[in-house]
Amino acid sequence: MATRLREVDVVIVGLGWTGGILAKELSEAGMRVVALERGGMRSTNPDFAIPLIRDELKYAVRNALMQNPARDTLTFRHSPSEPSLPMRQLGSFLPGEGLGGAGVHWNGVTWRWTGIDHAARSYYEQRHGKSFIPADMPIQDWPMTYAELEPYYDKFERTAGVSGKAGNIRGTKQPGGNFFEQSRDRDYPLPALEPSYSQVLFNDATAHMGYHPFPRPCANASRAYTNPDGSRLGACVYCGHCERFGCEANAKGSPHITVIPKAMAQPTFELRTHSWVTKVMLDSTKKKAIGVAYTDVSNGQEYEQPAAIVALCAYAINNVHLMLLSSIGTPYDATTQKGIVGKNYCYQPGGGGVTLFFEDKIFNPFMATGAFGIAIDDFHANDQFDRAAMGALGGATINVGQSNGRPIGYRPVPAGTPRWGAEWKKATAKWYLRAMNIGVTASNMPNRYNAYDLDPTYKNVFGQPLLRLTYNFLENDKKVIAYVGQKASEIARSLNPTSMTGPGTLGDYNIVPYQSTHNTGGAIMGSSPGNSAVNKYLQSWDVPNVFVVGASAFPHNSAYNPTGPVGALAYWTADAIKKRYRQRPGLMT
Amino acid sequence: MMRGVVDGWWFVVGSCAMLVATTTSHVRGADVEKGKALFEQCAACHSLDATGDYDGPTLKGVIGRKAGSLEDYRYSAAMKRSDVVWDAATVDKYVADPQAFIPGNRMAFAGISDKTQREDLIAFLAVATKDTNSK
Repeated sequence: MATRLREVDVVIVGLGWTGGILAKELSEAGMRVVALERGGMRSTNPDFAIPLIRDELKYAVRNALMQNPARDTLTFRHSPSEPSLPMRQLGSFLPGEGLGGAGVHWNGVTWRWTGIDHAARSYYEQRHGKSFIPADMPIQDWPMTYAELEPYYDKFERTAGVSGKAGNIRGTKQPGGNFFEQSRDRDYPLPALEPSYSQVLFNDATAHMGYHPFPRPCANASRAYTNPDGSRLGACVYCGHCERFGCEANAKGSPHITVIPKAMAQPTFELRTHSWVTKVMLDSTKKKAIGVAYTDVSNGQEYEQPAAIVALCAYAINNVHLMLLSSIGTPYDATTQKGIVGKNYCYQPGGGGVTLFFEDKIFNPFMATGAFGIAIDDFHANDQFDRAAMGALGGATINVGQSNGRPIGYRPVPAGTPRWGAEWKKATAKWYLRAMNIGVTASNMPNRYNAYDLDPTYKNVFGQPLLRLTYNFLENDKKVIAYVGQKASEIARSLNPTSMTGPGTLGDYNIVPYQSTHNTGGAIMGSSPGNSAVNKYLQSWDVPNVFVVGASAFPHNSAYNPTGPVGALAYWTADAIKKRYRQRPGLMT
Repeated sequence: MMRGVVDGWWFVVGSCAMLVATTTSHVRGADVEKGKALFEQCAACHSLDATGDYDGPTLKGVIGRKAGSLEDYRYSAAMKRSDVVWDAATVDKYVADPQAFIPGNRMAFAGISDKTQREDLIAFLAVATKDTNSK
């Protein structure tokens, strides 16, 4: 029998970046906030202290900071004609678990999405005509413009301590920054990090070819920094243990060292860890949430937490799962294309990258940060890039990062090297220092069949149906990878490597090898209940006291990483709740 | 006791600075203001006044203290075992290359290789970390 607790103003499900931002903003505004985090407590010391945090086997191979798929996972199939099977080990993507969520184990790449991203359908219709958009590609504009979101992007960059170089301040182009970026009010809070040798080579080669290289914005602090809330970040030591690890130097912008401690300092805020929300409870009208049901997974005790506002701030995948489990909105049906919740799932196609091997160059890959890099945006943010020549919508950035040189995972060898044995050992020793990678990160447009629904067969540890993912790469993705991969290959050849591998071609999606934790859509935002699950304030059209915050709201996926707009949207939503919803609850317009 | 050690250390720093001044051709005293700016690199983890929630131990009263000896801070075994007492010379060695001086310690800092910068930082620490309560 569940214990019914005292009602609060806001219950937050999941305490990562979005939950942390809402927790801080709303508790500081005097609202009574309870955050329910299914994982445990985390703090830099002792959880991420060296030397134990440098355990590659524990964190990078065995995924110590991630969701346990034995307890909850999803099922997968490529198309509705295939049977779906549970993903029993994490692979393609890594949903986090524990205080700070993925904001603890991310790399830190922090973009503001492009003007094209914010107005995708309008842009393509205007520039290429309506017929350029395939009938089975339900792209749509964001319900807010880039200009509306600009102050919130800025706020997130300040909070997370983003290092970078502006390319466009109030309409004036800035040398050295991203030539194609939208106008911003001011520069990044921190200067760009020191580039690696591979990045210098890439920078010079692409500039020589007439492209526009710039330092990729990243939440790895280039020097010690105190953010506007008074949270202190240390300087990055280029240790190469960002993704899948917590940062021992507090140099990676993370919620557990910024917004969450600020919320925890408020008497109106309460955190409960090991609290797994199984359902949003609705009243008899199904138009109003009365709170959430959760289980304390440390002892099995069940609770009901009544709240005036429910904020779903779990990982993007789990936000959608909770909506479907709670019957919020109409589930999407790919066959009839009716319903909304579950549609427009997108991911991040890869495979266009190139690895270069040089007999005569040493790259020191272990001197690394998760996010620093040099990028070109000529085939993505560039609104003059002729997509007709590519034959596809979207695009890709071409980047040289240098995220790690860890001994288990980082073993670049030239094509034709045996996969094991003495020859492999010799090659891996020789090329460890002498390889660099040029990456291609592509956008992903929605397709009517790429969607989530509830699995009819498989259940999680609570006996609830697993989320079912139906997904594959499609023609549009293959064309983007082929086209931009070719450009990456030309850049690589201009550097005269001894040998190079790639670019590959994009085949069927494989859920086994790691690609990226950039899962978007499923509870998308839009201008009307007919095209979206949530409105421009990420408020459910169907149950207006439920807010669904995160990358689940993106109608498509950009070639950019998602966390910049995820943070910006969380501040945007918090502002709308504080300044409008709180005074006059109900659907905001 | 504490006062004597702190003041004694301060005196040693002063002597060092004078020694440098009299034995080298380029006359330079340690610059406390520059040291204060350099301390920003430390401030993410270390407080000077033992207030607030920091990941590193407070530096209040650090000079003259045995390394790894604050009761309310969880040090690495390496730090506790180190047998180091913090003075100008040991702070200098530690800040120059933390892992070389006390291998296996948990301070997430790469070090300051510039000798002059270390002198400035140490001059600042000598003033700013004084434990006035124990006087």
